[in-house]
Amino acid sequence: MVKIALTEFYKILAALLILTASAMAAEVDAQLDRDTVAAGNGAMMTLRISGGSANQPVVPPVENLIIQPNGQSQQFQIINGQATRSTSYTYVVGSHTPGDYQIPPIDFMVDGKKISTQPLKLKVTDAGAAAAPAGAPQNAPGSTPDAPADAASEGKDQFGFLTVELAANERKHAYVGEIAPVRIKAWLPADSRANLRSGIQPESQAFTLHNVSGQPQQTQEIKDGKRHTVVTWYGGISATKAGKFPASLSVDVTVAIRDTAALKQTRRRTGGPFDDPFFDSVFDQMNTPMIQKDITLKSDDQEIEIRPLPTEGRPEGFTGAVGNFKFDSTRIPADWKNGEPQQVSAVLSGTGNFALMNAPDLAPSDAWKCYPAKGEFSGGDAASFSGSKSFNFSAVPRKSGAQEAALTFSFFDPSAGAYQTLTSDSQKIQVTGEAIIEEKPATAPEPPQPEKKTEDIAQQHLKLSAVRSLAPLVSQPLFQNLLILSGGLCLMGQLLSWLRQRRNDPARRAATTLEKSTREALELAAARATSGDVEGFFAAARLALQYRLGALWSKPPQAITLTEIHSHLPSDSPVTRFFIAADRNQYHREGSTGFLPEWRTLLDDAIASLNPSTR
Amino acid sequence: MSRNFLISLLVLVVGTASSLAGDFAEANQRFQEGDFAGAASAYEQILAVEGPRANVYYNLGNSHFRLGKFGPAILAYERARVLTPRDRDLKTNLARARKDAAVTDESQLDPRINAVVSALSPNEWSWLLASTALAIGALTMVGGVIRLPLHWTRRAVGLSLFCIALSASALYLRRTESTRGVVLSDTTAIRISPFEQAESIATLSPGQIIQIGAQQSGFHYVESPNSGLRGWVADRDFSAVIPHQP
Repeated sequence: MVKIALTEFYKILAALLILTASAMAAEVDAQLDRDTVAAGNGAMMTLRISGGSANQPVVPPVENLIIQPNGQSQQFQIINGQATRSTSYTYVVGSHTPGDYQIPPIDFMVDGKKISTQPLKLKVTDAGAAAAPAGAPQNAPGSTPDAPADAASEGKDQFGFLTVELAANERKHAYVGEIAPVRIKAWLPADSRANLRSGIQPESQAFTLHNVSGQPQQTQEIKDGKRHTVVTWYGGISATKAGKFPASLSVDVTVAIRDTAALKQTRRRTGGPFDDPFFDSVFDQMNTPMIQKDITLKSDDQEIEIRPLPTEGRPEGFTGAVGNFKFDSTRIPADWKNGEPQQVSAVLSGTGNFALMNAPDLAPSDAWKCYPAKGEFSGGDAASFSGSKSFNFSAVPRKSGAQEAALTFSFFDPSAGAYQTLTSDSQKIQVTGEAIIEEKPATAPEPPQPEKKTEDIAQQHLKLSAVRSLAPLVSQPLFQNLLILSGGLCLMGQLLSWLRQRRNDPARRAATTLEKSTREALELAAARATSGDVEGFFAAARLALQYRLGALWSKPPQAITLTEIHSHLPSDSPVTRFFIAADRNQYHREGSTGFLPEWRTLLDDAIASLNPSTR
Repeated sequence: MSRNFLISLLVLVVGTASSLAGDFAEANQRFQEGDFAGAASAYEQILAVEGPRANVYYNLGNSHFRLGKFGPAILAYERARVLTPRDRDLKTNLARARKDAAVTDESQLDPRINAVVSALSPNEWSWLLASTALAIGALTMVGGVIRLPLHWTRRAVGLSLFCIALSASALYLRRTESTRGVVLSDTTAIRISPFEQAESIATLSPGQIIQIGAQQSGFHYVESPNSGLRGWVADRDFSAVIPHQP
């Protein structure tokens, strides 16, 4: 029973609602979300029909104006028992040609009746102030309609911008010669994706960019009420002249951002559990497409003031160092000798322009002659603003005796805006030897002259000397040849000396004489035999044998007798037999010439038998 | 024919000598007028054309010294010292240049021994050794032909042997001088390997003496005798005192 009653109630209610809705008059409306848009961009036009149903409207064409359908939605509401149904059609409207456009009335056929919208006006401005999104199609400008705010300025910064500021917050200026630390920031939309295509680049000659950090930092910051992804570099800029100069830095970036036009479209309500405005941003972020563009972020509109170094209070030893430094260590030898250089070293640390930093001076300055120093820098941070620099230089004392020496160093402190002079701890030193006499009195004022060596070196030699070889003789082939020649002469001399000694040997000379006498005696014997002089033959032959035996036995020829021969030779030897025959002939004078050939043969045998072994 | 040739040769020799003397005088004049760069260029031209001359090297060293180029100045002085080791002016100016360049060239030898072996140049020691050897050869030759007095021969041989021993010892002690070099560049890096990008061990001062070793791809392995540093130095940064003659 109750169930039947409820069913009837719903039927009655529905009939009432339909009747009420039918009783309301149908309405159409056309709206643009802005009345001005940059060329190449688009505005959102919404056509809404409420209180009735209508077919898709036909938008009349307008010259140079592009009207692109972008969606359709329906809404059904009951407010205070009054039901309302509406249908919305959205279009993107824009143009590439600047000008004032008018969209004529658009006709709707609602329940058989023709209802028209009011005409709309749209102003399309020059696109110079705002670039078209890269992702937008050419025939559909304005796929990313701009925000209602200042379209031009927002278009310019839509993909990000670059700022440069001095890292020292308390200062808004830098000094000539100072490497002023700067903070360079690239501000990119928070939900963007960026890809750096270059490093930071200076675009003017007013500044020199130093030591830009290679790894920039990335943070999230809010500027002018908007969240940005900020990429920060640290570096230094320096200028050589005073004045105000634009920072003129740039960086090439490829930026991909959300299509804000799509973000502004009303999402269709579906009545689901997430159909709540609270979730709109979440779904919008997820569903909004990205558009990408290659841009160059510049910092042209920012100026940096460069001030000159003050002339007042400039120390005499100031050589251009700008920064804030201190002595880390110094080393001055304690014992010196006049005229002999020694090494002095110092290490200075701090922050500033180390490239303009020269070595500290030895004080008192008139007591030292210092030579150019060698410096070596060690960076203390990635950008090399801080660090230490070590110096080594040679110095020669000018005065003798016990003295005190220290190192001094002057620099300009940009933070304090004043010059500073550091002095190391004074050290006692001892200098031996005679003091160096200065060529010019230290007190004599002289006009400044270009640096010129006036040391007293010996004068030029005006006489032309002979050509000589730089390579010593010992390294030349001639030296070896001379030594070989010398050795040859020595060998030749030794040979000559040996020959001379051999020629003058008495034993050799005696032997030669005996040999000659033997040969003469034999020739005489032969002559006697030929002439038939038996006595003469035996006398000459006997003498020949005596010469030969005397030479062999080292005895005078007269000492060679038969007795002597018997003591040395056997009795049947030819020599013995001939000597016996010769003696017999001498004393018995047999005188027969018939035996002479036989005796000559025996003589020949006897001479032949007298070899050195006979000794 | 031959007479004409001899006259032509004589004219050529005299003409060349007078031209050389004129160039040398002009270079000296430039120096006197303060044109040290021009004088140095003229001296170098004379050396390039005529060959090594002690006084030209000396004057060239003075020109470089006046220009503040201590490396080339010391190199020129060192070359002049090879030719005329007993020149007092040269010693003075070389010491001055070393002092101003803050470089030293301390010998490792005892000062007395160093004084003896430095009395003559290596070339002079070489000639003494060679001529003494030749004298001994000639003496032996004569002694082979005629009988020389024994006492006279003994003295001659003893003196010759002393000269040979002395000159040979001096040459041995100064054997490293043939590979000496002088650093020329103001920023001469001594590197751990023969490459431009190789790590630098230290820097050498202009005028510093180095011992030159092996060569490899535009670099020489050198040793700094006074500091003990060893490494590779680019060929452009130094020059040998005695240029290598292929």
